Amino acid sequence: MVLGNYKSVVAARSADNEILKGAQDGGIVTQLFAYALEEGIIDGAIVAGPSEEPWKPEPVIATTKAELLAARGTKYTLSPNISLLKEATRSYGLDKIGIVGTPCQMQAVRKAQLYPVGMRDVPDKIALAVGIFCMENFPYQSLEAIVEDHCNVKLESVKKLDIGKGKFWAYTERGAVTQIPLKVTHKYEQPGCHVCLDYVSNLADISTGSVGAPDGWSTVFVRTKNGEDTWGKAIAAGCFETKPIEEVKPGLDLVKKLATDKITKNQKTLEARATFGVGKGLRNPYI
Amino acid sequence: MSKVVEISPTTRHEGHSKLVLKVNDEGIVERGDWLSITPVRGVEKLAVGKSMHQVPKIASRVCGICPIAHTLAATEAMEASVGCYVPEDAMLLRYILQCANRLHSHALHNILSLPDMYLPGTDTKINPFTPEEPVRSVALRIQRLREIAQTVGEIVGGEAIHPSNPRVGGMYKNITPRAQQKIYDLAKEGRILAHEQSEFMIAVFKNFQNRDWAEVAGRQVPIPDDLGYHNQGYMAAAPIYGSSSLDDNPTWFPERWTEVRPWDWYMGEEEITLEDKDYPVGGTTPAGEKAWPQMQACTGVPLYDGQPVEVGPRARMVQFKNYDLKGAMGLQIARQMEYEACAYGMIEAVDALNTSGKVVADEIPQGDGTLGWAANEAPRGCDVHLAKVKDGKVGWFSMLVPTTWNFPTCSRALTGAPWELAEVIVRAYDPCVSCATHMLVVDENKKIVAQKLLE
Repeated sequence: MVLGNYKSVVAARSADNEILKGAQDGGIVTQLFAYALEEGIIDGAIVAGPSEEPWKPEPVIATTKAELLAARGTKYTLSPNISLLKEATRSYGLDKIGIVGTPCQMQAVRKAQLYPVGMRDVPDKIALAVGIFCMENFPYQSLEAIVEDHCNVKLESVKKLDIGKGKFWAYTERGAVTQIPLKVTHKYEQPGCHVCLDYVSNLADISTGSVGAPDGWSTVFVRTKNGEDTWGKAIAAGCFETKPIEEVKPGLDLVKKLATDKITKNQKTLEARATFGVGKGLRNPYI
Repeated sequence: MSKVVEISPTTRHEGHSKLVLKVNDEGIVERGDWLSITPVRGVEKLAVGKSMHQVPKIASRVCGICPIAHTLAATEAMEASVGCYVPEDAMLLRYILQCANRLHSHALHNILSLPDMYLPGTDTKINPFTPEEPVRSVALRIQRLREIAQTVGEIVGGEAIHPSNPRVGGMYKNITPRAQQKIYDLAKEGRILAHEQSEFMIAVFKNFQNRDWAEVAGRQVPIPDDLGYHNQGYMAAAPIYGSSSLDDNPTWFPERWTEVRPWDWYMGEEEITLEDKDYPVGGTTPAGEKAWPQMQACTGVPLYDGQPVEVGPRARMVQFKNYDLKGAMGLQIARQMEYEACAYGMIEAVDALNTSGKVVADEIPQGDGTLGWAANEAPRGCDVHLAKVKDGKVGWFSMLVPTTWNFPTCSRALTGAPWELAEVIVRAYDPCVSCATHMLVVDENKKIVAQKLLE
């Protein structure tokens, strides 16, 4: 259950070279939204687009492929995508919203659908929720400290950031690669991430991430009826290359291991909150 | 020998009010008082000292049927006080919002009015809840009209109930070309439904006016030809939108406005001497109880040129279109005649809108305490807000809300009607009693009049 409910899981990558060029992994999110936009499954998608500052994302509503391409790549800092959820149905006039986000953001979407507090007209307008795997996130100042101080690289010169194989990696435009052990990044993590019990976006229609699949490929969980419909059509349209997850390395076992680690560790943090003080504790949002 | 009958509470309108009616032996009203008994919330007093950006958002919460009126009037009163001119595309968005709100409000009021009315040519009263035709189709049409209007309001206003988009200086956001197209499509659908609905309602109200009697409490109550006539004047600032003190030629005049207390205007203490247990549903106030309109009325009595005036759809029609139908049904018919203008208003404004135009003024002055006012033609009539803003803070705020104007006027219009039809007259005004009851009335010694109740 650490991987949530799903109908199928595969390794996949986009069949579109233009998308793959700037994608973090297999270009799944960008390709899915590009296909869904073209087919009218969605009429806009809330994505983490670029902002004035390097590697600081800004939520945007993409209604063209160009805007989707501009949002490729992981930014390891907070992007409040849900802040546009209601506005998408208002001044943007959307009827079918696509949204990408981390596990917590998928939870927010589902909660808004079931308990729409101040979220009039949102519940029935979510057309495709794509979740990404997420171990933890960093405030922007943390990212600056990690990249500029620990990696000793200017953020402006960075081409790609990645967390993998126990390390934080920074690749520059001019070809330099820096890596630091994840251990030194721990103190920079956003504290709110330490009570999160979801690794692979259990509540999304489709969730995707790098762990489990080879470089350039993604692991994809197809979870809901809606996700299955869209994924099936996209496959039929030739949008993706896929491989059975059993045939790729390191495969689902690693995903399961990391998910278990995250949940076990954070569950402990949650339990510790109950007895944080002397004779009193801190709030637990799950009870 | 006059008797006194009291209907409390009244139903099928917004808010909490009652009717205290002095009637003759035939049950005809000789003097009627219709008064708010909604608790005073005191928005105008608590606004003092708050920022000019916050007060319109609080004022919006006066009423959830016409929050657009209070948001826009309050925002524009702030803008008038500080001298801020908003960009044209922001005004167009506000205009679309105004039309959308009026469309939804009039359609909602149809639901409230229809149960008094008859299917034309029959003795069958209309029950909007019935699954039977032809009423079912009418109810569905009303639902769709309101859905269209609220959706358009949501797109341009940010929210259908308590719009989030308006701000001092314009609007927070322009809309996208897709949203523009969506409004256009919805308005085109709404235009046809509005036309059908308007024709249906006018036929229903004309039919009521031509009837000899209406059934109330199992009795046939005669309908007088002059049901709801009064000799008060009319007041309206514009056919659709409004006016403000920033206009070159403002259409509302603060110097013509005065206000008196309910104490000076309503009846004194009366004992209830007539009781009807059959009055639907639950009967009237039991005989022997006391009513004291002077003390119980929770609104002030605003006067224009020293008289109570009528505001609302008919006032707009009289002022700008030479409309001349009097009485309760004349007022109802005027309201239905506004239907199509709402849809066309949306279409024209959304056509003129530049979706890449700017919607916030470059400079928003902070104010020096100058008096500014803005009148918004709410669904129920002229809603005037007055404000003095200094250094971004509200120093003084006053709201003259449509139903506040209509309370004394409608009370006069009750004279000559069988008491059983008094509520039909009240409903013709589409009262919004929450709207009317937001104020504390202060007498010349700065004592709050409502305190008299506590003494």
